[in-house]
Amino acid sequence: MDYLLNLLPSLFEGTLLTLQLFSLTLVMSLPLGIVLGIARMSKFRPLNVFMQFYIWVFRGTPLLLQVLFTYFGLATIGIKFDQMTAALIAFVLNYAAYLAEIFRAGIQSIDRGQFEAADVLGLSRFQTMRTIILPQMFKRVLPPVSNEVINLVKDTALIYAIGMNELLRAAKIASVRDFLFVPFIVAAVFYLVMTAGIQLFFKWLEARYDYYR
Amino acid sequence: MYILQANDIHKHFGRLRVLKGVSLQVRKGEIIAIIGQSGSGKSTFLRCLNRLETVDRGTIEVDGDILVRTGPDGRAIYSSEKSVAQIRGKIGMVFQNFNLFPHKSVMENLTLAPILVQKTDPDQAYETARILLEKVGLSHKANNYPFELSGGQQQRVAIARAMAMNPAILCFDEPTSALDPVLTGEVLKVMKDLAMEHMTMIVVTHEIGFAREVAHRVLFMEDGMVVEEGSAEEVLLNPRHQSTQAFLSTVLTAR
Repeated sequence: MDYLLNLLPSLFEGTLLTLQLFSLTLVMSLPLGIVLGIARMSKFRPLNVFMQFYIWVFRGTPLLLQVLFTYFGLATIGIKFDQMTAALIAFVLNYAAYLAEIFRAGIQSIDRGQFEAADVLGLSRFQTMRTIILPQMFKRVLPPVSNEVINLVKDTALIYAIGMNELLRAAKIASVRDFLFVPFIVAAVFYLVMTAGIQLFFKWLEARYDYYR
Repeated sequence: MYILQANDIHKHFGRLRVLKGVSLQVRKGEIIAIIGQSGSGKSTFLRCLNRLETVDRGTIEVDGDILVRTGPDGRAIYSSEKSVAQIRGKIGMVFQNFNLFPHKSVMENLTLAPILVQKTDPDQAYETARILLEKVGLSHKANNYPFELSGGQQQRVAIARAMAMNPAILCFDEPTSALDPVLTGEVLKVMKDLAMEHMTMIVVTHEIGFAREVAHRVLFMEDGMVVEEGSAEEVLLNPRHQSTQAFLSTVLTAR
């Protein structure tokens, strides 16, 4: 018991860092994902092709590699970020790529008649997106987006590679120091609590959107 | 004198020529019914009138404003986005599948575009919406969502939504094709009420009875062309063209 109490401060500190990266990534990648998803559908060919290339690169290479690249790789050509910034850049760009595809699928699943109805009522393309298409899209993409968000919690563990003491690394340090596996178990519980919170949140969101079909 | 003039409209999808020179002139207050088999191009023609489909060639003029004209090279030239938007505001559209906004209440469906596009004062928009809902007999459904309504009720809301924009012309694209006979009846009743008020209407329909009763003029289309055109009596009761006769006898014996 005493051991656990001694262990907790460092794990909490790690959790704080984990949550920080998690929430910052989410806040930035969600809107970016929407913009990129729409850009991916653009009829302007260069933009469309660029988006396909972007998504290919960020889905096609490990997130760990992208983190290493923004921190160590770019440093070799003189572009230096602190750890958090480097991690954030990689995470936001990576998650925006996945989210863009989810949002694109969501938008394309909306009946063409919705666009046409908005069109004949004189709504601009922006108004159509904002008031008609995106609100309906959000309801549909909640399940896949919740998948991504839960993945994100766990992916934060990757920033150990650039020496950041997030939750898992904090657990590992304690484990190695004390020759015990217990810290990992505690870390697992921490992750489960966080993902349970996310699941509950998305359950609540889905219920909130249940007022129409 | 004409509120809508469409001349020599051509349109193709890939290698398929859907419209081969269709023309239509509509006077204010006139009710036009367009009949014909599926694939005859009647819906496509209607959708060209407010640029839901773009034409390859031809002229469309609405209330004195040019939507599209044929350039010297024989290709269609559309007016600026701004005037296209302005012209679209004059043409209301009712779809086969209603296309109500499912995430908006009936009241919101009716007031969204007037407030957002026409910058109508919200109180004014709600007032207009209430009057229109009363007219289509759905005042009690103002705060319901589309999924809570029957198909007929949804289509009546869709008609009210189009009317809320105060259009000069109302177009109907097979408005009752997704409905059973009872629901069809209640939608047709609303359309007849509009006809009584001298609303200008262009109706693509399979409802021959409705066309006979309400339409001033009937167009029979086949294979991308207007084969026969005249008063309801001429076209529906004494069709001259063979394919019109054939079509009418199939439709009427199917009943």
